[in-house]
Amino acid sequence: MKTIIEPFRVKMVEPIKLTTREQREEMIQSARFNPFLLAAEDVIIDLLTDSGTSAMSSEAWAAMMRGDESYAGARSWFRFRDAVQGIFGFEQVIPTHQGRAAEHILFGVMVNPGSIVPNNTHFDTTRANIEFNGGEALDLPCIEAEDLDSDFPFKGNMDIAALEKVVAQHGPDNIPLIMVTVTNNSGGGQPVSMENIREISRVARSAGIPFYIDACRFAENAHFIKRREAGFENTATIDIAREVFSYADGCTMSAKKDAFANIGGFLCTNDAELALRERNILILTEGFPTYGGLAGRDLDAIAVGLCEILDEHYLDYRLLSTHYVVQHLLDAGIPVIAPAGGHAVYLDARRFLPHIDPLQYPGQALAVELYLEAGIRGVEIGSVMFGLDPHTGLETPARLELLRLAIPRRVYTQSHMDYVLEAIGLVWERRHDIRGMRIQKAPKFLRHFTAEFDWV
Amino acid sequence: MSTHTWAEPYKIKMVELIKMTSREDRLQAIRTAGYNTFLLRSDEVYIDLLTDSGAGAMSDRQWAGIMMGDEAYAGSRNFYHLRDTVEEYYSYAYTVPCHQGRGAENILSRILISDGDYVPGNMYFTTTRLHQELAGATFVDVIIDEAHDAESRHPFKGNVDFAKLDALVDEVGADKIPYVCIATCVNMAGGQPISLENLKQLRVWCDKHDIMLVHDMTRVAENAHFIQCREDGYGDKSIRQIVYEICELTDAATMSSKKDAMVNIGGFLAMNDGKFYEQACGLVVVYEGLHTYGGMAGRDMEALAIGITESVQDDHIHARVGQVQYLGRRIRDAGIPIVNPIGGHAVFLNASKMLPHIEQDHFPAQALSAALYVESGVRSMERGIVSAGRDKITGENHKPNLELVRLTIPRRVYTQAHMDVTAAAVEEVMKRRDEIRGLRFTYEPEVLRFFQARFEQI
Repeated sequence: MKTIIEPFRVKMVEPIKLTTREQREEMIQSARFNPFLLAAEDVIIDLLTDSGTSAMSSEAWAAMMRGDESYAGARSWFRFRDAVQGIFGFEQVIPTHQGRAAEHILFGVMVNPGSIVPNNTHFDTTRANIEFNGGEALDLPCIEAEDLDSDFPFKGNMDIAALEKVVAQHGPDNIPLIMVTVTNNSGGGQPVSMENIREISRVARSAGIPFYIDACRFAENAHFIKRREAGFENTATIDIAREVFSYADGCTMSAKKDAFANIGGFLCTNDAELALRERNILILTEGFPTYGGLAGRDLDAIAVGLCEILDEHYLDYRLLSTHYVVQHLLDAGIPVIAPAGGHAVYLDARRFLPHIDPLQYPGQALAVELYLEAGIRGVEIGSVMFGLDPHTGLETPARLELLRLAIPRRVYTQSHMDYVLEAIGLVWERRHDIRGMRIQKAPKFLRHFTAEFDWV
Repeated sequence: MSTHTWAEPYKIKMVELIKMTSREDRLQAIRTAGYNTFLLRSDEVYIDLLTDSGAGAMSDRQWAGIMMGDEAYAGSRNFYHLRDTVEEYYSYAYTVPCHQGRGAENILSRILISDGDYVPGNMYFTTTRLHQELAGATFVDVIIDEAHDAESRHPFKGNVDFAKLDALVDEVGADKIPYVCIATCVNMAGGQPISLENLKQLRVWCDKHDIMLVHDMTRVAENAHFIQCREDGYGDKSIRQIVYEICELTDAATMSSKKDAMVNIGGFLAMNDGKFYEQACGLVVVYEGLHTYGGMAGRDMEALAIGITESVQDDHIHARVGQVQYLGRRIRDAGIPIVNPIGGHAVFLNASKMLPHIEQDHFPAQALSAALYVESGVRSMERGIVSAGRDKITGENHKPNLELVRLTIPRRVYTQAHMDVTAAAVEEVMKRRDEIRGLRFTYEPEVLRFFQARFEQI
């Protein structure tokens, strides 16, 4: 059978409000042409992010009802810790209210002014947290990632030769840790191969530098390894995931992605002394070490979600349904990052709108247009998100100008995706009429969240 | 409404089973926990009076709100509901959600404080003071002296002493004081209220010196109850009216909604100044989450909005404080020294009086808290020298006058029978107090040491 079906049925629904183009024109204007500032109920299909927007299962909801809200030593904490250790294998588990808090604590302890942190590609909050601590966030994507059409199976890989060069040049004193993000979100949701992870680990260990994994979409990455990397066809996805983490010294995790949770995250390490210092910051900004700023019920929901996410039928459905959208776009000749990633579809705004200068934000213009067309909300990943150096104040074009359409887990159906495809097709037809944007007002860090725009 | 009984204005809709442990189990457990009740597992605890924070029981309406969560990353309708509710009940024009109160304190301190500043407040609170210090400020206690005297029956021990405030201005100048931080129902003083008269004077004082007034509003509804009972002219006003009046006198607020608002997680920073709001939005996205969720799930914002409306009901507060008073009177009537008057959220045992044979450096309150657990499985919290920590410059222990054990009552969770068991357990410990030994550190964390410290018996 080639038809993809969901390995679940629907148990609870949330009505969607439909809007007209005239209404949307008004709404996007009052949101200053920034989809982040739209009221969610004015959105028809919300592809802004797959973070925290997934549908939990009846099992996870049941676990929520068992939440133990004791401040210290709650039963929920022990269930959570055991679930995390069972997959990730690290000795020290530190819960946080979400992924960026884990990053904040990790970098607060490890990064100093002048530090360099290499990654395949840093994501927005990761980069901001490093820069906030005075460090430099260095992207070392593999060469194949440059070619958006290449069908290289692991375009999320890090460039090992470049990493070796950086390590040789700066040494362990200036590189507090090496990270890899699985899957590589800013680079198109592309997976990282086991071979590449082994190589990064080898470079890190021979230089005595800790190796951390940004694990947000670890299950999707593990399943790509199973489906694409020679030698893993017959390995269970959970075992692939365990092997990935066995090469690392720690990880940060946003449980709002590959744990189906609406809130939550964690930080892991094998270094007990480091964990002690991390918990001291945790208590100050997050919460006591057995809840870390999460309700007991959310710890329980994450514990269940971590088990469900590694179900191979689910992961087949997940990867294939993203592939379905990308394949239809390719067939229509619409520029999109290929092969399909796990959690999102990335329209190539630079080729979609070649007449718009990168610093007039083609990705943002496309995001606005898609909302106007059909009430679909996506997010720019390009010069708005990454173009500004907060220390120098200089603006340079980002490596890629993308519009990301992130697909929440288990939320939308195939007919929702067909509607999205039709809308993209309509925008594609009138792409020559689309104008660039300019920023009217923006903060220094993470400006894309709250920046205000207008047409050029 | 009766003033003698305090029957709950609710019935029980869902229960959570608890189990009793043996004395041997508990001896083992407290040793494993290094004589720190924070390090016990919850299933080793019979009645959990560690904190009222996040430990309350939500109503069926709040649970229904949980099911109405809009988990959109940006612009969730639950955010707008929360924002509107905060403005309607607490008067503040802008709301920045945070995953809990300390998240709000972090952002507030980073925005308002410059290195070398002074922040006066009506007694310190552990996390609040640390955030102020990390941002470069020195905390200055300006609470009235009566607050440091466990015996004093002053009705408003949370009041500010203006002579202390004036002295601070004379010494450092008003421009070194970014804001005055005022807590309603001062936790470390024993859950003691501030009067509206005092707060009104403080407003005038702040205006005169052009200093902001920030409200730590975690237990504002309980404070309003004491104003209603004790302050002239407020007997006929509703809790809701008094809460609004308190908030209106201040410029901004931090809220841990895990207390008054009866949610398990969440908080916010609120203010009236648009520019301050913009700065807060810029920072909240770094530490907490986008400004329309601030690290809270949509469902938790909804539960919070509903909880706020429930927290200012007169019947609710009457029963809430009534239960605390009941436990306090039972313990006091048995001849056990406690902080008077009895506060709004907890009964504070006076450990230095209960255990005069243990000097303060041997942590009498910590030892008492451990002993109470072993006796009965009741979990309490030290609020004395261990919580007070060390001076940031000299490194010496702060030596608070109040060496207390806090029995904190979670909202709507325990019954009168549970309170009776607790009172009996305290009496039992009192009888055997001569057997209780002092403690010394085996592990002392650098900051907020009470959370994770470990001890052994001397």
